[in-house]
Amino acid sequence: MPQYGFHFDMTACTGCKTCQIAGKDKNDLGPGLFCRRVGCFEGGKYPRPWHYYLSLSCNHCAAPRCVAACAGGALSKDAATGAVLYDPSRCTGCQACVSSCPYGAVQFDTAERRIVKCDMCHDLISAGQEPACTSTCPMRALHFGPLDELRQRYGDARDARGLPDSSLTRPSLLLTIDRHARPESIG
Amino acid sequence: MTKRDARAPEPPTSRWVTAACWHNCGGQCLNKVLVADGRVLRQKTDDTHADSPLYPQQRGCARGLSQRQQVLGADRLTQPLIRKHWRPGGGDRQRRGQDEWLRISWDEALDIVASEIKRIKTLYGNTAILSWDFYSLYYTSKMGASWGGGNEISQMLSLYGGHVNVWGSTSQGTWKDTGVLIGLGVVNGTNDRLDLLNSQLIVMWGVNPAWSSSGSGTYHYLQAKRAGSRFIFIDPFYTDSARVLADEWVPVRPGTDHALVLGMAHTLLVEDDPATDPLIDWDFLNRCTVGFDAGHMPAGADPADNFRDYVLGTYDGQPKSAEWAAAICGVEPAKIRALAREIATTARVALVNSWAPARVNNADSWPQAIMTFGCMTGHLGQSGRMTGICTSRNAANSGPSLVLPGDDGVQYLANPLAGYNINQNEVWDAVLTGRYTAGHGDVRDIDIRMIYHGCHSYLNQKPGIDKAIAAHRQVEFVVAQNYVLNPSARYADIVLPVTTFWERPGVLFSGNREMLLWPEQVIEPVGEAKDDVWIARQLARRLGLDPSLIEQVPPPQRLYNQLAGAKVMKSDGSGYEPLLTITDADIAALGATGQPQAGRIPLAELRERGCYQVPRRPGDGYTYIHLEKFRADPAAHPLNTASGRLEIHCQALADHIRRRGWSEISPIAKYQPPSEGFEATFADWPAGVKGEFPLQLYSIHHPARSHSCMDNVAWLREAFPHELYMNPADAAPRGITAGDSVLVTSRHGAVSLPVCLTERIIPGVVMLGQGAWVDRDEASGVDRGGSANVLIGAVATGQGHAGFNSCNVQIVKNDGDRREMRRTPM
Repeated sequence: MPQYGFHFDMTACTGCKTCQIAGKDKNDLGPGLFCRRVGCFEGGKYPRPWHYYLSLSCNHCAAPRCVAACAGGALSKDAATGAVLYDPSRCTGCQACVSSCPYGAVQFDTAERRIVKCDMCHDLISAGQEPACTSTCPMRALHFGPLDELRQRYGDARDARGLPDSSLTRPSLLLTIDRHARPESIG
Repeated sequence: MTKRDARAPEPPTSRWVTAACWHNCGGQCLNKVLVADGRVLRQKTDDTHADSPLYPQQRGCARGLSQRQQVLGADRLTQPLIRKHWRPGGGDRQRRGQDEWLRISWDEALDIVASEIKRIKTLYGNTAILSWDFYSLYYTSKMGASWGGGNEISQMLSLYGGHVNVWGSTSQGTWKDTGVLIGLGVVNGTNDRLDLLNSQLIVMWGVNPAWSSSGSGTYHYLQAKRAGSRFIFIDPFYTDSARVLADEWVPVRPGTDHALVLGMAHTLLVEDDPATDPLIDWDFLNRCTVGFDAGHMPAGADPADNFRDYVLGTYDGQPKSAEWAAAICGVEPAKIRALAREIATTARVALVNSWAPARVNNADSWPQAIMTFGCMTGHLGQSGRMTGICTSRNAANSGPSLVLPGDDGVQYLANPLAGYNINQNEVWDAVLTGRYTAGHGDVRDIDIRMIYHGCHSYLNQKPGIDKAIAAHRQVEFVVAQNYVLNPSARYADIVLPVTTFWERPGVLFSGNREMLLWPEQVIEPVGEAKDDVWIARQLARRLGLDPSLIEQVPPPQRLYNQLAGAKVMKSDGSGYEPLLTITDADIAALGATGQPQAGRIPLAELRERGCYQVPRRPGDGYTYIHLEKFRADPAAHPLNTASGRLEIHCQALADHIRRRGWSEISPIAKYQPPSEGFEATFADWPAGVKGEFPLQLYSIHHPARSHSCMDNVAWLREAFPHELYMNPADAAPRGITAGDSVLVTSRHGAVSLPVCLTERIIPGVVMLGQGAWVDRDEASGVDRGGSANVLIGAVATGQGHAGFNSCNVQIVKNDGDRREMRRTPM
């Protein structure tokens, strides 16, 4: 199965959250719901502080816990892209997927009784376009494409301080890692 | 805003329209909106060409992509409003800002506004009417920057005999006047982005493009970093720009940059040895400047009044040594010396400045101080070498525009009361006390009875909001135009709803030097909103004036004029040529009159893409090196200064400041402790005893807003909470912990808001994003909106521009108002 995914260059991200808003605009999301969101991590002591950002969407994992958790089959891997896609007609609203995702990428919209998650902008990529988030990044820190191609270009780093161990779900997310977020600094 | 079903396929009738992103955010980007059957579906940014560092897409930011929430928010004003307890003459004026609103018809609203203008003019004369000419360009919008809007009300009032106006720079600080008089300039003061790649060291002095210059500025700097440039950030805050770019952060207290640079200059003077340790570019100083030492003074100047002897302390007994500077600016003496030496011994250095360090009381000599250091090190006017302003839309990319719109042809009407011009720092005092300073020893009487706000946010965006509110509650009539109930509108008697750019005919916008935008009308006007020109003309008619004299050129003709006159620089940089080929059919379709013309691209191409961007390549004819010709031959290319050179001694500057009437300065860059600066946090500065307001507060451009614009947008409030940034070292002794609400008090007012504890800010200093809408609790007088200008006082000093970064505060935990800090969950 082809697998598409994202690359995030932590060293270039200014935390401007354009990608977060792009996800909200594309999917018309109200407060508290995100298809991509940016979080800040800070450490060190003045005058040598450090901080970095993580921009995270659904990672369309190779071993997605949400798909395994969904009894009704509302979540499945797309054969063409490897995206984890949501079929609302098969959703019972049990929210097992919400609690299963170690990234918090699957959310429940209580007003509309539906799951909210990134679908790689399935309509756009099916039409040969880029997802909303990667095409807007002012720092060009986010990239989208077939995971193999991204790996050749940006390397295969997947683990950073602040993220779950990538062996849990095998996320389709490659990272250029900020030096303060190297996994060996965890501890 | 109506929700759409994001899962539903986009209707076949949908189309992308280029939409104005008109804010004065420090950027200007390409914004497109998907519209179907008059409804806005979603947005996107530039995808008109493949993206590369050399030819980057003009990508927008979180604010730009949130614009549909701004234009189509639930709080859009759709009808004129009147304050419930308004009566002719004002009624109960203290209710302004807390009264209820009633909807009224346009005819009723316009009749009331016209009759009040007429009544006040008849009783008190035109000098009782306070309004603004071009200030409406800036705060809620730049309406008019491109097509003559924004000052329509000023034009209407000018036809009716004129109005009292307000002056003073908001953004540029003391660069506004000093930059011109010393010869360095106010904008575009560095080299262009491709030449920046030649700098080995880039010193970012108070520069944070990630927050204050949306668009490609930070991305351009990233290219310099990738090309090998080393970056030093001098800033009270470890910014997001520093996060990506900085090799080193030098924390400095706000308003003390001048002391720091004097300590650096002293280091070079005492350590320089032309033979064994050359640190000073004496050739540059001798050829290109006046006033550095006694041997190079301008005609008529006292030879003792030279920079070198001031820094060495020859006459005042106080060397401005690194130790002297350290006590003020907070940078260790060894670091001051190392910084000075690194800049002096690196061949190609960019000393990049923003206006922020000049937005300080009494900072009139700061631009001259940094210029003098640039001259001492010779980092001016050569490839990879520059000292000057590089900010806002020109961030990382100075130089003349490569593509420009034509003149729209609109003639502005002159204000007959042009002599009645009150400084921004005194305008609310003038309303309250009837007195204002018109110059040195020239205090005049004034009797303001009404305030007319065009579509701007003046009440919120200038220092001294508490006085502004008092002034609004004193006058007989206040009217405001806006598209939402922003603070200026909230304190009005009548609010007139205006359209945004999305609801108006197209105009051309300039952005950074490489591009030109053509946004078009996106949707029909929201509710009963009208454009400002219509309002001005309706009022003119009611006042017995000729409405056609306001904005004489109709919108289609204005647009045509801009298109026909649009010009693009020839590839060898030798001059401009017409941008557009325009046919008779194009002119007819625009509804304008004119002649067909030949240009570089067809009109239809610009309309379709929404943007024209000049491609760049290394070594092209568009390279810009600031002051290059001057440096090469100062006699043949003199600057527009008294001496024709860069003026380290500038008598014109000292004279200018004296004429303003508030304070005096030396012709050379002597340090003056700012009013309400670091020194003022002490009750006894020499003894080191802190006073009632022991912390410094400064205000910054916050990513949630463009100034006060978009403070009401939900997506942005969620993304960027409005918090006070404070070092844990200042919080701990006050019992303040993360998530607390704090009460911040200055000499001028008090605000409460959540605190964000961070190691990224220098201790002793707290920081507040500017532009949050004031939300005053009348019982306590405390602003629960956390608006910076409640704390920052309107203090008139020097040349009269705004001193947003000089403010002293005390902070306590606010147990009575604990609100959960909203954090983006991960």
